[in-house]
Parts: sequence; C-alpha cells; structure tokens
Amino acid sequence: MAAAAATAASKGNGGGGGRAGAGEASSSRKKKGPGPLATAYLVIYNVVMTAGWLVIAVGLVRAYLAKGSYHSLYYSIEKPLKFFQTGALLEVGIVPSSVVLTSFQVMSRVFLIWAVTHSVKEVQSEDSVLLFVIAWTITEIIRYSFYTFSLLNHLPYLIKWARYTLFIVLYPMGVSGELLTIYAALPFVRQAGLYSISLPNKYNFSFDYYAFLILIMISYIPIFPQLYFHMIHQRRKILSHTEEHKKFE
Amino acid sequence: VINGRRNKKAFFSPEEGWPHCSLHLDGRLGKHFTRITSLHPRRRGRSLGANWHLICRLTTRSLCPGLSQRSCPEPRGGRASHLAQVEILDAKTREKLCFLDKVEPQATIAEIKNLFTKTHPQWYPARQSLRLDPKGKSLKDEDVLQKLPVGTTATLYFRDLGAQISWVTVFLTEYAGPLFIYLLFYFRVPFIYGHKYDFTSSRHTVVHLACICHSFHYIKRLLETLFVHRFSHGTMPLRNIFKNCTYYWGFAAWMAYYINHPLYTPPTYGAQQVKLALAIFVICQLGNFSIHMALRDLRPAGSKTRKIPYPTKNPFTWLFLLVSCPNYTYEVGSWIGFAIMTQCLPVALFSLVGFTQMTIWAKGKHRSYLKEFRDYPPLRMPIIPFLL
Repeated sequence: MAAAAATAASKGNGGGGGRAGAGEASSSRKKKGPGPLATAYLVIYNVVMTAGWLVIAVGLVRAYLAKGSYHSLYYSIEKPLKFFQTGALLEVGIVPSSVVLTSFQVMSRVFLIWAVTHSVKEVQSEDSVLLFVIAWTITEIIRYSFYTFSLLNHLPYLIKWARYTLFIVLYPMGVSGELLTIYAALPFVRQAGLYSISLPNKYNFSFDYYAFLILIMISYIPIFPQLYFHMIHQRRKILSHTEEHKKFE
Repeated sequence: VINGRRNKKAFFSPEEGWPHCSLHLDGRLGKHFTRITSLHPRRRGRSLGANWHLICRLTTRSLCPGLSQRSCPEPRGGRASHLAQVEILDAKTREKLCFLDKVEPQATIAEIKNLFTKTHPQWYPARQSLRLDPKGKSLKDEDVLQKLPVGTTATLYFRDLGAQISWVTVFLTEYAGPLFIYLLFYFRVPFIYGHKYDFTSSRHTVVHLACICHSFHYIKRLLETLFVHRFSHGTMPLRNIFKNCTYYWGFAAWMAYYINHPLYTPPTYGAQQVKLALAIFVICQLGNFSIHMALRDLRPAGSKTRKIPYPTKNPFTWLFLLVSCPNYTYEVGSWIGFAIMTQCLPVALFSLVGFTQMTIWAKGKHRSYLKEFRDYPPLRMPIIPFLL
C-alpha cells in the first residue's frame, strides 16, 4: 500500500504537477512550471533519489551473487534503504499534489521501515521483506527518473510506459510483502509488549501496539483497491492519450 | 400539480401572469423544440403574444397535463420591457438547465432559487449554489437581481451542493451522542470492562465529578442549540453529520473509557488539583455561555445581519477587548480544566485537536471581521489574547 500510494499520489489528479516533474503532457502545458532555480533543485533531488535507489538495487544484486541465495538480503542494503526512503519526507512540501496524500504515502513507507522492520529485529530475515524492498526499488527508480526526464522535457516513452504499466505487478507484490512482514512481526510485538502501555498509570492512557498493527493491516482492505484502480484508470487515460499524440506526429 | 407537489401558487395562475412561466430548453418539449428556438424573445408586438401563447400551451401540455384546461395568461402589454430574463446553466457542463422569462428585476436570488426548484425539484433551494461565474463565489440569497452586474438576460451558473442537512439537526445529533455514550461508560454497562465490574461505581469522587461536568457541558450545548444560537446558514452538506458525529462520539467514548475505568488513577495532586480544575471549568462554562448570549443579542431573530461584538456589562464578555472569538477561548479553557481535573491523556489530546480546529475557525472569523469592518478594534487577536 505504501508502494501503491507513492505512485498514486504522484500520478493522481494533479499529482506531482510540474513542480516535482510528474506533469503529463497536458498538465505541463497548462501549468506555468517552476523557475530555473527551483527546477535545478528538483532535478538534483530527483537525480540523487534515482541514484540512491539504484545503489539499493545494485546492492541487492551483489549480495545475492555473493551469498548465492535470496534470503536475508535486507542486511546488505539496510542503511541506504533507511536513508533514501526517509529522505522522501522532503517531497512532502515540494509536490503540489495534496499535502495530505503525499504525507500519507511517505508516512506509511517510513512506518514500515522504522516501526516494523527496524523495531522488530526478528522479521529482518523474513523473505517478505525482500518482496517489498524489490517492489519499492523498481518503482522508485522508474518514478524518480520519470520526474527527472519530465523536468528536462525529454521523457522517453519507455519510462512513461514502465511507470504506468509495471505497477500492475509491483503494487500487489509490494502490498503482499508489507502485509506478510507486519503479520510476521505480530507475535514478537505481543511477546515484548513493544511500544505498548497498559493501565494503571498516572496519565490514564493505554496503547496496544499489537492491536494497532492489526488495524493497520485491516486498513489495507479498503485503501489498496481504491489506489490500484485509480492507477489503472490513470494508465488508460495517459497511455491512450500518448498513442493519439503519436498518430499525429 | 407539478411532479406530485401541489403548490399553493398555481404554476400559471392568472393573477401572477408571466413571471413564473419557464421554458425547458433541454429538449423536453421534443418536436416542439424547433418552433421555440426560432422565436426572438425580444421581438415585440402582437406576434409575440401569439408565440408566447403557443409556448405556454406547449409547456403546459408537456409538463402538467392536468392543467391543460387552464387558459394561459396573456402577457401584460407594454410592461414586458422592464422585466428580466434569467438563464441557468450548469457550472461544469454549461448545459442549459432552465430559462426563466419575465422575472421581476427586484427578485432576490432566493426567489430565483425557488423558481428553479419548480423545474428541478430534486435540487431544493438549500442545495443550489448560483453564481455569476462558474468558478466564482456563490451569490447570497438576499442579493437582488437588479443590483447584479448583468444585462436584461442574466446568466447564472448552477452548482449542486449535494444533499443538505440542517445545522440544528447536526448539532443535536453530534451533542446528544457524547452525553449518552459517556453515561454508558460511567454506569459501566456490560461488555465494556470485565464482567465483575458490571454496573459498579467508581470509588473516586473525581470520577463522579467528571461525569457531572461532562454531562453538564453537553446538556448546555443542546439547550444552546435549541434556544440560543442564531444560525446564518440553514444547512450544511449531509456528509458532515457522519464526519462530525464520528469525531464527537469517538472521542467521547475514548475519554469516557479511561475516566470510568476500574483501574483509573486519580490526579497526582489530589483534591487541590481537582478544585482548581473545577474552578477553571466552571468559569469557562459561564464565560462561554455569556459570549453565546452576547452574540445572540447582536442579531435580531430571523435576520442575518453581522455586527462587531463588543463587551457588555457582563464581566465574562470583557474578553471581547482582547479576542475576536472568546467563545472558542472559553471552550478550550473548559477542556483544559477538564483535562487537569481528570489527569487523562486522551482528554488532553481531545483538547488539543479541538483547539487546532477552533483556531482555524477563529482565524477565519477574525479575517472576515477585518475585511468587513474598517473600524475593527486593532488590539484583538483571533483566539488567544496577544498571541494567536
């Protein structure tokens, strides 16, 4: 869902616009676009993020080749993953699409990285972690290069196609990885009483992190289909629009 | 009888003449359509009268078969030049929804809305937004057609505001909920706490006091809604009731759960803390009520006038010297008092969320006061004296 929300927020109605470079042909015509300094900043930001996620991708491949198996690859890319995914918090202010949607998607990614995977050490060796890491890595490389090229007004059709097609597989893959990871973390959270506080206490407050995680998992049920079908709708709109453009060229 | 509703004023009553005759340009008159479009509404003379007669009969026949026997009133000769026309287009699709012919120039937007409802009964006046520009601001009900920057044919753009519900209904529902829900927890009805606690009572005085304060607060709100407040808008969108009730009822349940819990811990500083908090609470409740009364007295019954509120003889209203919305100030104060009294984190969080929302409202109100009144007292801040 963090994967789905990330792409949906940027591709959605006015999502990304001209500022973060996600403008589709029609919207960049209507919008005035950022000034040269802002454009430079955005290009640098998007290039750095693309590079960062490439580093993670390369790191995964190298670790796989070195170990000979795909288990427990998380440890080899733990630091860049945390760094670049948390860095996405910077996007919240600069993307013109609703702050609410952008912060929601970044928060859910950051939540999974820190409040689940980092906090519950036992799940770090789970295969489900690899599942969402791969999904995020591929998605983000394409997404940030899409922004970069859009800002420079040289968007290869391949990148646009990839962005609006690969999600069909990557979304469910990412969501599965996320849900399985949270599910795997549950028994350890219960055992350790992680992030939980019970009565009685001075502030008359209680919080059960275990129940909270279950609520999070349940929330995927209404949210994920909405995002997924929104993406499918966007795909039809944008890719068929490009086909018509090509006809006239 | 139009669409099953019997209007007190008949659609084509001879006394009223033309002002209430409306045409459908959306093709409802089917094969008669071409005949109507060939007319020039501005052409005067006998042929006009004959054409209007034809239109009237066609309209009557297609819209109100039951009225086909009624004779169509003749246009009042010579007066036609002083009456206006109004066409209403959909703001999004620009589709022609209605054409009102021979509207009195002194007609208000409210009256035009009523006319529009006659042809589109699913859009009752409360859910109509009429504006001069599709993306512009909504016109007010009191605005007079003559005073708007339009020619003899006014083009108004319509936007559907969605199903509406009255403010009074929303307020009563959203306040009755917390009153009832808190008491469920206070009396420890089964299935909330362990079975051995069913219908037991807390041994802490502060818990009983808290119940009285919470209940008093919501009873006060209900009574104010019924007898004190004068609302400038009659309705709000229907979805608001679900949003608002979730907020109020949800937080009420969350707070009540902890305060009335068998494992509740009373305040650290004991009776001293409770007494102080109670004093804050009572003062702020009185203050909040005083402000509501002062605001009510600013506006005569049934009117929508807006005036600058000033302090009165009641000392609680003296906060108007420093703040635009002292009712919100006192409200936050009440909840802070309640939070100190119960020493319960959920209450503090509820106060914080409420404070955030009320600050947004206060800033908006302050801004509109400043825009509307040149002589607005400069010392006043929106919600917190000198600060916010």
